[in-house]
Amino acid sequence: MSSARIYILLTVCAAFAATLGTTRARAGDVLLTGSKPDRLFLIDAATRKVRAEHHIAGANGLVSIILVSPDERTAYVLVDRMERVVGIDLASGREVFRADLSTPGERIKSFLSLAVTPDGKELIVYELPTKLLPSEYVVEEPRFAVFRTDAGLAAKPVRSFAAPRRVHMLLMRPNGKSFYAVGFDLDEFDVKTGKHLGTRGIQKWTVPDHSQPDLLAFWPVTEPTGVWTSPVYSDVKKGAESVPTTALMSLDLKSGDLSYADFEPMNALIFSTVLSPDRTHAYGVYTTLTSIDILGHRLEKRVPLDHTFYAVNVSSDGREIYTGGTECDIGVYDARSLAKKTLIKLPGCHDQSIATLRVIHEK
Amino acid sequence: MSELKPTNHKANLLLEAVADGHLAEVLAMESVAGCSTTFDPGWEVDPFGGVASLCQPMEADLYGCSDPCWWPAQVPDTMSTYPNWDAGKPSAALDWRDLDSVFPKK
Repeated sequence: MSSARIYILLTVCAAFAATLGTTRARAGDVLLTGSKPDRLFLIDAATRKVRAEHHIAGANGLVSIILVSPDERTAYVLVDRMERVVGIDLASGREVFRADLSTPGERIKSFLSLAVTPDGKELIVYELPTKLLPSEYVVEEPRFAVFRTDAGLAAKPVRSFAAPRRVHMLLMRPNGKSFYAVGFDLDEFDVKTGKHLGTRGIQKWTVPDHSQPDLLAFWPVTEPTGVWTSPVYSDVKKGAESVPTTALMSLDLKSGDLSYADFEPMNALIFSTVLSPDRTHAYGVYTTLTSIDILGHRLEKRVPLDHTFYAVNVSSDGREIYTGGTECDIGVYDARSLAKKTLIKLPGCHDQSIATLRVIHEK
Repeated sequence: MSELKPTNHKANLLLEAVADGHLAEVLAMESVAGCSTTFDPGWEVDPFGGVASLCQPMEADLYGCSDPCWWPAQVPDTMSTYPNWDAGKPSAALDWRDLDSVFPKK
């Protein structure tokens, strides 16, 4: 066989292999996750190699919500039993921002709710304060505290305003003027003034024949589409019967469009979901990996996972799905077939627990 | 709520508040956002009445539930009272033998 024919054959084989989903994610994607007790990992999605392992001082056993600055150079991480927010320079691992929420007389927890403004200048933190008096705890009203991200390692709020109770996630809108607070319902607030701009129902939704829904959501993943999605569970009245049903909740942060679309009778639990770049599929994880046909409003495929994962994300080209959270590995799956490609073990094998799994891009 | 039977004074107050339409008045301690406010049985049954849809293995879920105080009855309150319960034990699957019971300090 001539060398030209061998070259053509190899090229054809390579193309065929690509159609089987054996190609890796587009170069440039970097996975970001955290683990106990204080670790922040950057992983090259293409090579599957851990590029950096940063230690967060004072994390105190918990690395939970991870936000990424708009320039993707800094990660804002909620640590220390929900009482400290730090900013970590991703290139060097250096701590560039720190806000200790509690003071000696007041314990403040942020229940997994942070947001950074699109210009990267301000960080909004949901605070649940309790005054610690000698003989009693005094419950104070929840609030949003706003920090300047250039405030260094002793950051104090520059303003704060009233917040509802039971919030468990914040989502910044790309216009930078307002943000969403996800809790029992979906509230929107003005970033500058704190003015409450409106409420749309989650528990108070008005979907015909559907019971009050159930939602568990503290994975603020909106990449790569700018749309946040989550499974929502409710009982749907069908004749004399009531059918437990799973819907996909979708919130477009740019347009504000909110939708709920039933896609299956509840056959499996899903903790979190992510929307594909072309918005045709959503992928969900828990003990299984689920592919949801967005346009057809139907379950497309489901495969078992090696163990439970809480977090999910997708490569920027939509070809690979990444599963994270819980234990010390990140699963890599083909987005079309849901076939497992590999597991990336984190050095030290420390649990990721509830850490957010992000996809950022190489600078 | 009609299927729940109150077993202490606070639970009675909760039912009375529901009946009177004053439910918000007994939600005060939720500001701690954790173990003293969570009422989630955990580790028992899944939504289908079995165990097949619980996290697998249990160790995969242990820190994910104890960190945000999801299982107040089964694991120590690491958010406020026993923050060092899991210190030096970063992997539930590997370190579970060392996760001890805790007792109130005298």
